[in-house]
Amino acid sequence: MPTRRERVWQYVTDHLGEYPDGITTTTIAAALGIARPNVSKELNDLVRTGKLAKTRTRPVRYMTAAQVAHRADHQDIVQVQDNNEGTILTRHRKGQRNPLGGFDRMIGRDTSLKNQIEQAKAALLYPPHGLNVLLTGPTGVGKTFFATAMNQFAAANQLITTPQLTVLNCADYAHTPEGVMRRLFGSVDGQEAGLLQAADGGMLLLNEAHRLPPAAQEMLFYFMEHGTYSRVGEQQREQQAAVRIICATTEPPESTQLQEFVRRIPITIQIPGFNQRTMRERLQLLQTLLTIEANRIDRNIRVDEDVVKALIGGISFGNVAQLKSAVQLVCAQAFLDGMDEQGDEIAVTFDKLPQEIQAGMSRIANDRNALTELTRLVDATMVVHPDGTTGAESQDSYELPYNLYEIIGHKAAVLKEEGLDQEAINNFIKTDINVHMKTYYREADLEQRNDRSLQDLVDQEFIDLTRKIKQHLEPQVDYSLGNNFVYAMSLHLSLFAKRVQTGKSLRTVSSNLIAMVKENRQELQLARQVKQLLEEHFHFPVPRSEVYYLAALLISLKEDSRTGTVGVVVAAHGSSTASSMVQVVRQLLDVNNVVAFDMGLDMSPTTAFTGITRAVQQVDQGNGVLLLVDMGSLATFSRKLTTETGIEVRTINMVTTAMVLEAARKTALVGADLDTIYGELREFHGYFRGNDESGRPLMKKMQAVVDATDTRPRALLSICSSGEGTAKKIKRLLEEQLAAQGVQDVDVLPVSVVGLQDELATITTKYNVLGATGVVKPSLDRPFISLEDLLQGGAAQFIAQVTQDDHQLPAQHTAINQSPKLTMGVLQEYLTKYFTFINADKLTPVLWEYCQQYTAPLVLDNTQRMSIIMHLAGAIERTLTASPLTIDQPTLATSQKDQAAIWDQVHRATTWLEERVNVRLAPAEEYYIVQLLAEQYQLK
Amino acid sequence: MQVQLLRIDSRLLHGQVTTSWAKAFRLDRILVVDDAAAHDPLRQVLLQQAAPVGIPVNVLTVDQARRLVDDSRLASTKVMIITATPESARLLIEAGFAVESVNVGSLSFSAGRQMVTNAVAVDATDVAAFRWMHARGIQLDLRQVARDSSRDLWRILSEKHLV
Repeated sequence: MPTRRERVWQYVTDHLGEYPDGITTTTIAAALGIARPNVSKELNDLVRTGKLAKTRTRPVRYMTAAQVAHRADHQDIVQVQDNNEGTILTRHRKGQRNPLGGFDRMIGRDTSLKNQIEQAKAALLYPPHGLNVLLTGPTGVGKTFFATAMNQFAAANQLITTPQLTVLNCADYAHTPEGVMRRLFGSVDGQEAGLLQAADGGMLLLNEAHRLPPAAQEMLFYFMEHGTYSRVGEQQREQQAAVRIICATTEPPESTQLQEFVRRIPITIQIPGFNQRTMRERLQLLQTLLTIEANRIDRNIRVDEDVVKALIGGISFGNVAQLKSAVQLVCAQAFLDGMDEQGDEIAVTFDKLPQEIQAGMSRIANDRNALTELTRLVDATMVVHPDGTTGAESQDSYELPYNLYEIIGHKAAVLKEEGLDQEAINNFIKTDINVHMKTYYREADLEQRNDRSLQDLVDQEFIDLTRKIKQHLEPQVDYSLGNNFVYAMSLHLSLFAKRVQTGKSLRTVSSNLIAMVKENRQELQLARQVKQLLEEHFHFPVPRSEVYYLAALLISLKEDSRTGTVGVVVAAHGSSTASSMVQVVRQLLDVNNVVAFDMGLDMSPTTAFTGITRAVQQVDQGNGVLLLVDMGSLATFSRKLTTETGIEVRTINMVTTAMVLEAARKTALVGADLDTIYGELREFHGYFRGNDESGRPLMKKMQAVVDATDTRPRALLSICSSGEGTAKKIKRLLEEQLAAQGVQDVDVLPVSVVGLQDELATITTKYNVLGATGVVKPSLDRPFISLEDLLQGGAAQFIAQVTQDDHQLPAQHTAINQSPKLTMGVLQEYLTKYFTFINADKLTPVLWEYCQQYTAPLVLDNTQRMSIIMHLAGAIERTLTASPLTIDQPTLATSQKDQAAIWDQVHRATTWLEERVNVRLAPAEEYYIVQLLAEQYQLK
Repeated sequence: MQVQLLRIDSRLLHGQVTTSWAKAFRLDRILVVDDAAAHDPLRQVLLQQAAPVGIPVNVLTVDQARRLVDDSRLASTKVMIITATPESARLLIEAGFAVESVNVGSLSFSAGRQMVTNAVAVDATDVAAFRWMHARGIQLDLRQVARDSSRDLWRILSEKHLV
């Protein structure tokens, strides 16, 4: 059977005579019954290989070279010519270069990137051989892109003789110092020529250069100075190459890891983040990215104003690359939705956007200036046309390794043949698309998962309503309404609705409550708005008393949003002692509440004090700051710091890296307060001393002794605005968890936020309060867990933590999951222990490989992999003993139909496995493997 | 506590085998009752991982579990209990967990045990526990997954002249 391309080519050659002006995609698509975008792709590939030419005018018409010659308007035709040096795209019309490529068309060349471009040109033109450049900027800002433009400039001005840019991503080799040395410098045995040699006469881009191992850095710097180097296995540094080097890195220039680079490389160019660019540039970037997609599908893309705002507003850490990913995602979805429709346009509308991208709208709405400016620049709708030339950079690591649209078209066709209806197909493919975008939206992913556990407690209706309320309130408050808001409010609303149904909508309002609310005018006013929204939604009057409860809830949430973690300042003598400790900790733990203050030996105490004061103010989030110092003299600062800044400061002497690590870890825990951490850290003696492997400090043990002699009954607090609704619901949840963990004698007390302080005083005399949860964190020196964490499955860990039980399971979960210890060895041990008929030594590596090879696109962590392997081992053993699992035919048939894609995947894997271990798995066994994978997909 | 299923399986929770049971009953929770597992953090993580999506798992010692029989906090909770040995299951029944039948999945072979089926190997302690259960009219239901057909383990033990 001819390939699709052959069919298209055949049709074109057969029918071109009938179309002297060229033939359109639509004509061919209709005649061959192939989806339009796929025809377009094949045609463009044919243009690229020189077999066809196409017009620049729309609709695009395709023709052969012979036809081009007869045309008067041949300057408007894109044609590729073969010559001896390979295929080069000739562009007849001037100025049609990719606006993303080269300095002359670069977006922001006269504004945000003006200085950077001048710096780059100066570095390149510097006589005699130019200067090496250090390129810094956060992830996704376009460092590689900028380096490519530098290379183009150098080539165009004949500054270099090797025109192509050589690129090495140093992070790929971070764990194999030997490998990177060979790759970069070559080896004497001749197996590797080395990239320096390859780049001779040209430019070499080292991405993530700070990840180069020290030996490679040293050699690189030597090369920069002398122009000579040695290959691996060579003594003399006699190899020569003329290479201009660009080191790119996401580290900020002041980072300790970059100090040597900054010192050795004369020019540092900083590329600004997406949100530092001007609004006009941001819009231009978006337009260009949309044009790339329009070219891919060869259709116009119509975008609403709100979509533009959401896309631009949603960009944070991922910069241009994140925008690109978001654009690809929304275009792919719009493409999918419009696949059955004819016409040459797809529309991206706000209501169809995934929620996490919609959220960008409210983010930009919070920034008045940005919003005003963007509104001024953008029209109500924006239509982007394919221009036939704007394409993605070939060296873009953010580019998808495959053609998303082609895959969508293909998959849809397959699924359709399977007899699935359109809606099911769309859902299926959307899942696929989402897999791609998870890289950039982990946070949003989390949010979705939250919803799932929240759905167990309240109807989706209330979650949706809460989101609407959130959207309405968010622009009016100067604090963020996080997930906790969604949790607390939707619980509140569901219980309110229940009260209304049972005719008990009226609640008495205590004078305390009125007093509390009166002090918070803003929240009262917001609560009134919520009342109105509720009335619009439910179509019945909401009693005034409810407004007070709503206001109380909002007040609690506001306080909650302002309580942050305890800050940590590390101050030590020496030019980089403190910052290198902090650096290590930041690498190990993803924390932002730890800062370093380096104190040169000649620094005066006054300067040091000022510096530390600033650091303390920087990390304080209202919960106080822990000051870790290396010498006694610094230890005297804390009182003075507290007096001057009003921030509670506790100082710990004799800081070590392990201690900074422990401080960072503790402050990251829920409900950690300054004095508790201070107490625990004073007892901290490193991770390796004694037999206390868990690192649980002595303090906690002493506390346990105290608790043991405490005769008061133990209790947990569950707090909500009334103490009646959410609090009681949570009480049940906690109690079940307590029982299931085998914990006896812990009461759960529902408490209202109204008069909380007085109530706490009473409770603490009667009870030994172990911890608290709820809509607000009480001022109590006890662990606290937010509703959000609790409902997300944090209950088990929380209870284990506060009851000092041995079941610190979930806390260890992450640690074990990331532990390299959970490897083949452990697995083998388990298989040996629990299976009778299989040879674990032989089978383990096979199953391990199975997981590596055949579970993509799933990304498995250690325990998931382990779990799959355990199941497979069971399946093989059952097969060996001729006692496979069974399944009834209808269920099997339904699964084979509904889960066709996973079946396909499993079947390929099983075939591979069967060859390796020479057993034949029964369909029922395959069925259960399918279910296992289906579950993992569901989890993602 | 509403015990939907009491299962004996020396591999405890593993893969779809257990999930199929969880789906057959609308479970709120799975209790794994095994002294060794309750003291092995790594196994606990694996057990959590092997659990069906959305069903919490707790790993308890036999003693902890015995105390939960009449716990009012779990009065309406539907659970599946899994033990690694017949003896643990027997202790739970003795403590008051009322069941009409016990599901037996697999009992791993090791030295000193006798294979009675491909999946089940028993020793004297196991046999004693099964005898105790049988004497109280408890069915010994031998099967891996809910959809398998049930075999009577007592009959197999009798045929092998073990009881």
